Amino acid sequence: MATDIVQAEKDAATATNASDAWYPTRQRDAYIIKELVSRDFKLKYRRSVLGVAWSVLNPLLMMAVMAAVFSQLMAQRDPSIGNYPLYLILGNTAFTLMNDATAQGMCSIVDASSLLKKVRINRFVFPVQKVLFAMLNYLFSLVAVAIVMLCFHEIPTYHALLLPVPVLLLGVFCVGLALMLSTAAVFFRDIIHLWSVVTIAWMYLTPLFYSISILPDWMVRLELFNPMYHYVTFIRDVMLWHQFPTLTTVAGCSVSAIIALLLGVLVFKKNQRKFILFI
Amino acid sequence: MTERLTNSGKWGAYLEVSAEELCLGDELTMTAIVFGAPIESFTFNFGWSRNNSWDEGEWETTFARAGARTRQSSYTFTPRKPGRYTLYLDVVDENELQMTIQRYVTVLQPNLMPTAQEGGELPTVPGDDVVVSVRDVSMVFNMASEQFNSLKEYAIALARGELRFKEFRALNHINFDVRRGEAFGLVGTNGSGKSTMLKIIAGVLDASEGSCKVHGTIAPLIELGAGFDMELTAAENIYLNGSLLGYRKEFIDEHFDDIVAFAELEEFMDMPLKNYSSGMVARIAFAVATVTEPDILIVDETLSVGDFLFQRKCERRIQELVESKNVTVLLVSHSIELVERICQRVLWIEKGEQRMLGPVDRVCEAYNSLSN
Repeated sequence: MATDIVQAEKDAATATNASDAWYPTRQRDAYIIKELVSRDFKLKYRRSVLGVAWSVLNPLLMMAVMAAVFSQLMAQRDPSIGNYPLYLILGNTAFTLMNDATAQGMCSIVDASSLLKKVRINRFVFPVQKVLFAMLNYLFSLVAVAIVMLCFHEIPTYHALLLPVPVLLLGVFCVGLALMLSTAAVFFRDIIHLWSVVTIAWMYLTPLFYSISILPDWMVRLELFNPMYHYVTFIRDVMLWHQFPTLTTVAGCSVSAIIALLLGVLVFKKNQRKFILFI
Repeated sequence: MTERLTNSGKWGAYLEVSAEELCLGDELTMTAIVFGAPIESFTFNFGWSRNNSWDEGEWETTFARAGARTRQSSYTFTPRKPGRYTLYLDVVDENELQMTIQRYVTVLQPNLMPTAQEGGELPTVPGDDVVVSVRDVSMVFNMASEQFNSLKEYAIALARGELRFKEFRALNHINFDVRRGEAFGLVGTNGSGKSTMLKIIAGVLDASEGSCKVHGTIAPLIELGAGFDMELTAAENIYLNGSLLGYRKEFIDEHFDDIVAFAELEEFMDMPLKNYSSGMVARIAFAVATVTEPDILIVDETLSVGDFLFQRKCERRIQELVESKNVTVLLVSHSIELVERICQRVLWIEKGEQRMLGPVDRVCEAYNSLSN
């Protein structure tokens, strides 16, 4: 039989001085997530001279390196990709968002073990918080995107207003993945090592620095089943190619987000009570 | 259902009651059952008190009425008022070795008698004076004969058909109640199941059998490394820790100075926690957990890392909270002195078995005699 906690704060009628201290459950989760994100943020930049600027510099430098290596090779083979540095940075930042969110979300439950053994906190806040933190970093990397646009005189059109759509869908997709992975990591730590290999393979399979047109036909068809391909395409459509995404792209983004989230919630809910026995 | 008590294997006793729950006007019979020694060699003292009150007419004992213990092994009385009755049984053998068994029954107004509940679950006790109610809780762990940490090992064991589990009972049919405003102690040797019990109460672990009902907010002391981050400053950690306990941001803002003052760490607030000693962290943890009046404060070994001055200060604060009558303190420790100083009632768990439940002096005496 389940442990039954009747939270006293529900009892608004008997509100005393002391019960003002506590949040109702839902607000509590929101505040915990906020505090954890701010912790991660402070930790990431503490004791670095440039601080937050790294969130902008990092994607810029990455892009510079890749552009130097690949621009001759790729851009000339397929002029339809447009501005190659912008093509690169849009793809890379989106993929980094997914990579960070899942890698950190995966370890979040295991890392919070000592806390979860003591305090009753809704366990989902840990993976969700990591995804939100990755999304926050993505927002900073958009400054880098803006810088690139400025340098190459790429003026965004009204299509760019759609950018929140693919980013939010990607966020939902990442929450789903993070829930699944964090559950798996509790029971088998191997997943943590395995996942870094999977993401590398995934990165090369996604047209981040090459154009999809260089792929053979069968691989192009395979890309339809690669959610990251759809997210990256959506973002490039609105930011680089100034066009509305195709129906396939929108459907690919939404369906993967919904499926990932549903699966994630299902797997997480089913197993979360057992976490404590394995962490 | 019976509550069982064993005395170092020599003899043991049960207290059987005719009903866990009865209507006003019904008779209640308490029966002592002794094993391991002939029943003729024992004397008994039966007692009851209503709502834990010791006012006139609210309690009765054989000893108070007759001036002596009785040889009769059963006792019947008719409760005259509804409420929660605590039943006591002192079993005394020829050598004056005494044991106390306690049980609870609920006496309801006739029209309040609940209908049969599903799954045989006990109805909740009327009134809000019981904050933790543990009913017949058992915890069974399935321990793999080996620990699998990787898929490969697991797959191999699965393929060989070697995936066996052995059962480990960490807790076995534990029953107790903790009332509002009480300081309740849990004692037992290492590995006896105290922490498991605490985790069940804190709501982080689900009992395999039985039910544990908790009414109210719980504030545990969060130890070093759990809700604290070594790289953050003490001030940032207070907010982090407060949020994990479920405090409102405005509440932390308002009481920030109180927390700092109680922890006596004013000068060090902007220092990263990694420069702190574990005792200093324990101060912050205690200050954060007790800045408000939680319904239930869980105090465990974390407290013991502080220096003696701070420990004394913590004890005073715990006393204050207990005296406010709103806060229930659950103290887990194998330091029997601390338990004796703070608690009023104590549960002794040994190897997952409920050994003894009762007033602090009696249980601690029995517990101490174990070590001698």
